[in-house]
Amino acid sequence: MGYSTILDILASIVMGGILLNTVLQLSDSAAEKTYNYSGELSLQQNLATVAQVIEYDFRKMGYCANWQNFPDPSKAIAAADSSSIKFYTDYDNDGDIDSIRYYLGSTSELTSTPNPRDRLLYRVVNNQTPNEVNLGITQFYLIYFDALGDTVHLPIANPGIISSYEINIRVESVYAYDEKYSSAYWRQIRLVARNLKNR
Amino acid sequence: MSGKAMLLLISGFTMLMMVVANNFNTVSGRVTDNYVDYFNKTTSHNIAISGANMAANLLFLDSTWNAGIPNKNYQGGKLNVTVQTIDAYKNIKRITSVGIFRRDTSKVEVTFAPSKFSKFAYYSIYEGTNIWWMNKDTVWGPFHTQDILRAANHPVFFGKASSKGGIKYYTNQATDKPYFYGGYEQGVDLSLPTNGVTALKTPAQNNGLYFNGNNSGQGTVYLKFSGDYLLYRYSTMTPYDSVHLPTAAPNGVIYVDNGVARIQGTVKGAYTIACSGTSSGKGTIWLDDDIVYSKDPRTDPTSTDMLGIVAQSNVWITDNTPNRSNINIHASIYVQNGGFGAEKYDTRPVSGTINLLGGIIQNTRQAVGTFNSGVIKTGFSKSYRYDTRFMTASPPFFPGTGGYEIVSWYE
Repeated sequence: MGYSTILDILASIVMGGILLNTVLQLSDSAAEKTYNYSGELSLQQNLATVAQVIEYDFRKMGYCANWQNFPDPSKAIAAADSSSIKFYTDYDNDGDIDSIRYYLGSTSELTSTPNPRDRLLYRVVNNQTPNEVNLGITQFYLIYFDALGDTVHLPIANPGIISSYEINIRVESVYAYDEKYSSAYWRQIRLVARNLKNR
Repeated sequence: MSGKAMLLLISGFTMLMMVVANNFNTVSGRVTDNYVDYFNKTTSHNIAISGANMAANLLFLDSTWNAGIPNKNYQGGKLNVTVQTIDAYKNIKRITSVGIFRRDTSKVEVTFAPSKFSKFAYYSIYEGTNIWWMNKDTVWGPFHTQDILRAANHPVFFGKASSKGGIKYYTNQATDKPYFYGGYEQGVDLSLPTNGVTALKTPAQNNGLYFNGNNSGQGTVYLKFSGDYLLYRYSTMTPYDSVHLPTAAPNGVIYVDNGVARIQGTVKGAYTIACSGTSSGKGTIWLDDDIVYSKDPRTDPTSTDMLGIVAQSNVWITDNTPNRSNINIHASIYVQNGGFGAEKYDTRPVSGTINLLGGIIQNTRQAVGTFNSGVIKTGFSKSYRYDTRFMTASPPFFPGTGGYEIVSWYE
């Protein structure tokens, strides 16, 4: 009776331990998966949001509701670099020409997030305060092409030579479980702003 | 007892797993929804853009087209295109294309304006087989040739350039490729209309100033712009008569019918002078001296002075004393059958520079001087500058292409 009870207790402890370990592993795995899945969801949403904002602005390059205010849209790009661009457009469709500038901040500006690679993407309208977009962007890379489709080499002295461009954006999760950051990539292979060379 | 406990335990785990699995499913579904949402938006946008492109093509082919494209099934969605005339006087049209895909709707608005030849800084039908655009050549506004664009050592085109015959490189693309700062299209077929000059006769007779070269002794008209007045005579042996231009030609058209026009002076206001005729030198406009605006738009942006010189045969710079030391021309020059050049370009003395503010639209490229090793031997050097106002405005009744051009694309 005594031995049997002790054996029962020992077996229960072993079984309970295995069960507890299983539960803990399950919990850990569930937490990781939940974290990663949620992170990926945010990641996809961030990427879609950034892509839509950028496409919306870039497509309007050279546009003006009062087209006579913009007699030569080929001068719509004021400056262009691999990670920054400034162009003119009528972003609010009021007939007045506005400027929009996109540029990528440095990684040191975002020490508050665990991801060491994410940066702020700035959008500046006219001379307003730059709007910071923290959507886990780790890469914002632009490649430009001339009228014959050849790559325009940097630096670009006269941005009027740009006829189309490629936009590359990589977004990573800002927070990650066990430092395993998810990433997603969006590339617009050839974006041609219709107003840029229409006249 | 232990059986019940096990049952409860298993049920508890099952419930827990179901909650977690449901959570995973929800998250996974939302990720997919996100992609689907982006796909739907992009597709509806693409449908709208396709509609705008199709409508633009129909309008380019038939400038009277206004039927639109109602409720067309396209790429699994719907397409609706409407055409409106938003400014009847200027004949401005707008195409609105709406793309619908599932729950998403996207709209593209394209505005069209009649296309005028005056928008070109340079246009030609024939370039000549041995004339090349060189590295010293810079064209500051829109460029088109129905010929081949012959490029040597990187000529520069700041406006939109197009050619029907493509590009021919002197050596190869690497050493000769032009720099296109306004874009380039090849295969563009844009010929000169056959009635580009004669179409101005009726406006001149109705509300402009009409000179009939068929009248005896009036085959050649000497015209001197002098502010609001136009001085005219039919012989250098007679004094000028004058007319008050805003009264005599309120629509801005001055027309010499089947004759020769010899012009000079200072233009105040917007006018087009046209000269028709094809035989015996008729239809030719001679530039006897400077013809300039009263207000130079480069120094006075408020200037509304604008001149079109429209000739059926040729526009020549006269070989005379006033033109021996430069000539200043402020105008968009249109020549239907010939070209713009200098009289006796290969025998006249070195005459300085042609300072042109405007554009040249011509059938055949003509010479203005000769050079040897880069040094001018006879005639003129060239300094052609585009008048950027011609991007959005044109001299009155200046020949049009007969079609529309896209001036604004909103998406």
